[in-house]
Amino acid sequence: MTTGLEHADIVVGIPSYNNAATIGHVVRAVDAGLHKYFPDKKAVIVNSDGGSKDGTPDVVKNTSHDHATIFLAHKVFPVHKMSIPYTGLPGKGSAIRAIMETAVDMGATACAVVDSDLRSITPEWIELLLSPVIKNDFDFVAPLYERHKFDGTITNSIVYPMTRALYGKSIRQPIGGEFGFSGKLAEFYLKQDVWQTDVARFGIDIWMTTEAVANNFKVCQAYLGAKIHDPKDPGSDLSSMLVQVVGSLFGLTEKHAHHWKLVNSSVEVPTFGFRYYVGLEHVKVNVARMLGIYREGVKDLADIWVEIIGQGDYGQLKEMAAMPDDAFRFPLPLWTSIIYDYCIAHHKRKLPEGQLIKTLTPLYLGKTASFVLEVIDMEQAEAEAEIEKLCLEYEKGKKHLADNWS
Amino acid sequence: MEEFVSLILDPIAEVFARFKLFFPNFLAMLVIIGLGFLLAWAVKAGLVKVLTAVKFDAWCDRAGFTNLMRKGDLWAKPSEVTGVVLYWFLVIIFIMVGLNALNIPVIDNLVSEFFLYLPRIFSALLILLVGYMVAGFFSRAVLIAAVNSGYPFAKVLAEAVRLLLIVLILAMALEQLNVAPSIVVAAFSIIFGGIVVALAISFGVGGIESAKRMIEKKDKEKERDIEHI
Repeated sequence: MTTGLEHADIVVGIPSYNNAATIGHVVRAVDAGLHKYFPDKKAVIVNSDGGSKDGTPDVVKNTSHDHATIFLAHKVFPVHKMSIPYTGLPGKGSAIRAIMETAVDMGATACAVVDSDLRSITPEWIELLLSPVIKNDFDFVAPLYERHKFDGTITNSIVYPMTRALYGKSIRQPIGGEFGFSGKLAEFYLKQDVWQTDVARFGIDIWMTTEAVANNFKVCQAYLGAKIHDPKDPGSDLSSMLVQVVGSLFGLTEKHAHHWKLVNSSVEVPTFGFRYYVGLEHVKVNVARMLGIYREGVKDLADIWVEIIGQGDYGQLKEMAAMPDDAFRFPLPLWTSIIYDYCIAHHKRKLPEGQLIKTLTPLYLGKTASFVLEVIDMEQAEAEAEIEKLCLEYEKGKKHLADNWS
Repeated sequence: MEEFVSLILDPIAEVFARFKLFFPNFLAMLVIIGLGFLLAWAVKAGLVKVLTAVKFDAWCDRAGFTNLMRKGDLWAKPSEVTGVVLYWFLVIIFIMVGLNALNIPVIDNLVSEFFLYLPRIFSALLILLVGYMVAGFFSRAVLIAAVNSGYPFAKVLAEAVRLLLIVLILAMALEQLNVAPSIVVAAFSIIFGGIVVALAISFGVGGIESAKRMIEKKDKEKERDIEHI
């Protein structure tokens, strides 16, 4: 589908695959956001679709909104919509690449990408993701969400603290899924030779964040409120998720070794948006099951773990396995040391990547169980303070990574 | 008296004549084998230097070969192991060529049979090497998957998979070497079949509770669990 438009100031991309049920709401919210906050800009909504079989592109084409019902003033330029099937390896990365190519072709100065399964997106998200680029010359806007204290545990216990310790920028949601970025940064991304790698399939979120930070682009974050989306594919199990996310993180650590070795501390990045209290859905956690898998790991994965983390740390894990459930705690220095040891083992190819990271699953579940037990009676802010302590531990333990990196 | 002397001297003369004919061949054998040892040593030394220069050991570390050797209780550097393997390969070849220089029909036959058999030895070794790696990979994959899904007999299951694969690989290697092929196939069928039946029974009986727990767990997981990302 073409728009007949040669130039656009703003491109908002929506990668999709079989999201007919939710994408209409996302398109309406984006459309409204562009009308409300950028009435004088030429804007295009690009749906980059991975071959949906449920008519997702048709939903995008047929979604319309009578803006006269919500806005007093009409937009100078109407928002165009286009749905393009992307090419290359199937995955979110290839979809975003197609969006970036469209943005660069149209000479857009600002772009945003939002997921197509969002239930909680509002027009304000578009303003928050694009305004820092258009009005404040930022190159990259990461999202900042309000989340339940038990949610986002891979982000909270590995991705956020490690990214912050390595690159020195405190970006709270480095793999959030929604981003704003400048046309200049889109051009930079497109020039990178990664589009036939796993970045094209998955790992695009951490790749975009890390490349922006490691290459000294101006980064900030925008508070978007709560993120509610369709439940993820139940077939995507925890181990596979860890392989995708942590594998990408470790791969980038290898690529940017020259950069992170020079970083000694971290700084806050500017945050836009008004923070407000959000009521969050109750989350069920089965601590006993998590600890059960942790103990199975201690029993059966001993040989592999000793090879990766050493006899000393394994001894501690063994002692912890004997603790009763409610007294179980995972010491922060031990956890950071384990993650750095895994990163070193990944760098030294001690095991095939998939197997290596999958052996982290019982440890991760142990850490998650420990976190849940620690913060179960805490308020959200107190739980966040615990995550802050972990971040500082990662920064303190970074020397271990640098010293053993060869 | 002369006859008696000739009776003694003739065999000695004949042996000496034969020795005169044989000695150059024997000398040639010694020279070939001696040169073989020297050449093998020189090639080994040269190869180890080249492999060290191109950081072969570091590459093996990254590719996981060093780890594989450690698991096979081999603690030398990969470059040294490669050098030693090539050294003994060349030595064996030169010994065979040297023996061939003796021009003794029986040894000639043995040597030519050895060279005809060599490809089979190579393919059997290759099957063992690749098989060892494949068995290790799959057994570890089963172990990790079973532990991560909370299966209580993960290690037993992984070892069973390794055992099955090793039996299969040994049978393939022996068949390649043409060592009593009919017995190997029959023994393999009996052992492999026996292991599979034993496993099916033991996991079937022992795994009822686990299967029950897994089904119950699946039902419970329909409720909203934490989001990991």
